[in-house]
Amino acid sequence: MTDNKAFQAWVGTLPADKLKPKKVRKNIELSLWERVYLIEVLRGLAITSRHFFGNLVGFVVPPKGKKRKIPTVYYPEEKAVMPPAYRGRPTLVANADGTERCVACGLCEKICPAFAISIVGDERQDGSRYPGSYTLDLSRCVFCGYCEEVCPKEAIVMSEEYEGLCTTRRGDMLYTKEQLLKPVDQLQKRIDYVRRIYAKCNY
Amino acid sequence: MIADLTETIVKILFIFSINVGFYAPILGWVERKQSALMQDRVGANRANIFNFKIIGLFHPIADAVKVLTKEDFIPEGADKFFHTLAPFLSLTPAIVTFAVIPFGGAYELWGHPVKLVIADLNVGMLFIFAFASLSTYGVVLGGWSSNNNWSLLGGLRASAQMLSYEVAMGLTLIGVFMVYGSLRLTDIGMIQENFFRWGIFMQPLGFVLFFTCAIAENKRAPFDQPEAESELVAGYFTEYSSMKFVMFWMGEFLEIVTISGIVTTLFFGAWHLPFVTDQMLVSFFAGAGPNGAALLAMLVNVVVFFAKVSFFIWLMMTIRWTLPRFRYDQVMRLGWKMLLPLALINIFITGIVLLV
Amino acid sequence: MQLLMFYLLGFGAVISALLLVTNKRPVAAAMSLITVMLCLAGLYVLLDAHLIAALQIIVYAGAIMVLFLFVIMLLNIEEKSGRLSNRKIALQFVGILVVGATLIAVAGLIKISPAQVTDGFGTTEAVGKMLFTDFLLPFEIASILLLAAIVGAVILAKRRIDD
Repeated sequence: MTDNKAFQAWVGTLPADKLKPKKVRKNIELSLWERVYLIEVLRGLAITSRHFFGNLVGFVVPPKGKKRKIPTVYYPEEKAVMPPAYRGRPTLVANADGTERCVACGLCEKICPAFAISIVGDERQDGSRYPGSYTLDLSRCVFCGYCEEVCPKEAIVMSEEYEGLCTTRRGDMLYTKEQLLKPVDQLQKRIDYVRRIYAKCNY
Repeated sequence: MIADLTETIVKILFIFSINVGFYAPILGWVERKQSALMQDRVGANRANIFNFKIIGLFHPIADAVKVLTKEDFIPEGADKFFHTLAPFLSLTPAIVTFAVIPFGGAYELWGHPVKLVIADLNVGMLFIFAFASLSTYGVVLGGWSSNNNWSLLGGLRASAQMLSYEVAMGLTLIGVFMVYGSLRLTDIGMIQENFFRWGIFMQPLGFVLFFTCAIAENKRAPFDQPEAESELVAGYFTEYSSMKFVMFWMGEFLEIVTISGIVTTLFFGAWHLPFVTDQMLVSFFAGAGPNGAALLAMLVNVVVFFAKVSFFIWLMMTIRWTLPRFRYDQVMRLGWKMLLPLALINIFITGIVLLV
Repeated sequence: MQLLMFYLLGFGAVISALLLVTNKRPVAAAMSLITVMLCLAGLYVLLDAHLIAALQIIVYAGAIMVLFLFVIMLLNIEEKSGRLSNRKIALQFVGILVVGATLIAVAGLIKISPAQVTDGFGTTEAVGKMLFTDFLLPFEIASILLLAAIVGAVILAKRRIDD
């Protein structure tokens, strides 16, 4: 509800002409100005050459400390920073003391549309449950994010990892619990995000 | 006799190395890089030698190595002879045409008159036309001999399109010839020593018409119907690979250079700087002695000419990456119903102005 | 040099003309016709008629033959198989010999003194002046004929579209 109010406040700051739906010209009849194609051609050329010269400056030698105008990320040298909404490799959340949050309820195993997760539950001395083994077959995973949506303990979330996920051997794609565990402070952003979207939509 | 022969050979080598050695490979890079910059992309920049990338300038070399080591494939049922002949027919006119385009004026070096044009023909412009019309065969034969429906359609479209725009182009240039009173391209260049007699001021409509027709003759977007990749795979050269494909490709790029050369010569003062006559250039460099002055003036003129040519190449590339492709009936309508009447009107107006 | 060029071009023209009539594939025949045109253009150049040579290439090799090829490709004419009988070939050969001999004999009868090539012969200016002074009437008649042909073609094509 608070989000909605914030949204309303934001809408209130917009100028009136921005709120009007944009007019789409559906008539096929062209004006005489557009019919004389040459002028429109010149306008088009002006637009494209503006981009060309704008990008040419600082293209051969990029200016120091200035951000490039071209949004391309030079991949192996630069890595794109993924937003929290990005669904990368699923990871198990590890508490500060290194234990997993997972209680082996099996909801993620049940919801998983690709049957990628298999859990063997176990019980500690004090009676608390934990997964004895938690296997995620990444060759089956479709990165849908149902597991994190369904998880009652915020124990599995999608991380922002997107590298090194493919191998030439299927055995390497079976991730064990130890491989899946990741400290909670690295995943806090995603946990907050998950809390926000699913709390708003579902409950 | 010997001096004349060496002069001609030197000029041929010069033009050949500029066109085939510089423009043809570099234009592939320019096309990729320029389109990238126009669309806010980066473009090819990965080819490297010892990790030196130099903004992707090694890509032409990489392309050449790649394409030369590919299999030269002739499809089943194709006409082998014509399939092999077609790329040659497409490339040769593009190279030969530059023979009559002057890339500099006339100079006196060590008592020997030098004219910077390979063949100073009396019918220079008609020579260009003749070879431009012959370049149709490469495309048509390539399309026909591939035994492929897409290729055949591309060839048919190319023949119809090039035939149509040749007519309008010829009629457009008649206005230019009426103004200059000569078909010899060196004469036309000489006349444009005076800035206010540049073709663009005397034939503005003619320039627009000629440039449009020239792009259509070149079969590049927005007139790339013969190779419309969204409709015909790759049009007439769908079935070509390896060196033969490169020949089509080089023919297209050299045609761009040739067209830019013709436009420069006819409409944009050939080798002249605005407001600077040849006499002024020579006297400006008078300190270097008579031969040195002539050489320096020659150098300036050649550089000016090729700078103009490069500008028009840039302009053609910009047009190619700006405008969407015309539909086929639009191409035909533009050619026959717009450009042709406009060319006739241009001749008419030019005639009236010349008479008055 | 000039003689050598003449013989080269002449033989080229004759051989491609022979290929034109003997070739069974229409596209190959059309291409040999283009070669004939090009050789003829070369012969014109040898005769100092540069304008005519250029026009020969532009009009015949460049425009008309492209149309020919266009039509051949559109209609997709099949190759005719089968052979001519030996008697027919012999008859044709004799016929060609007789006609050729007659032509050579007639040409020998007419005495033509080779005209001196004047300054500026064959240039665009000279041909243009000649066309618009001495040969104005034939020129205009030819234009009217062509105009009539164009109008006729348009009418023929138009009617078919309307149906």
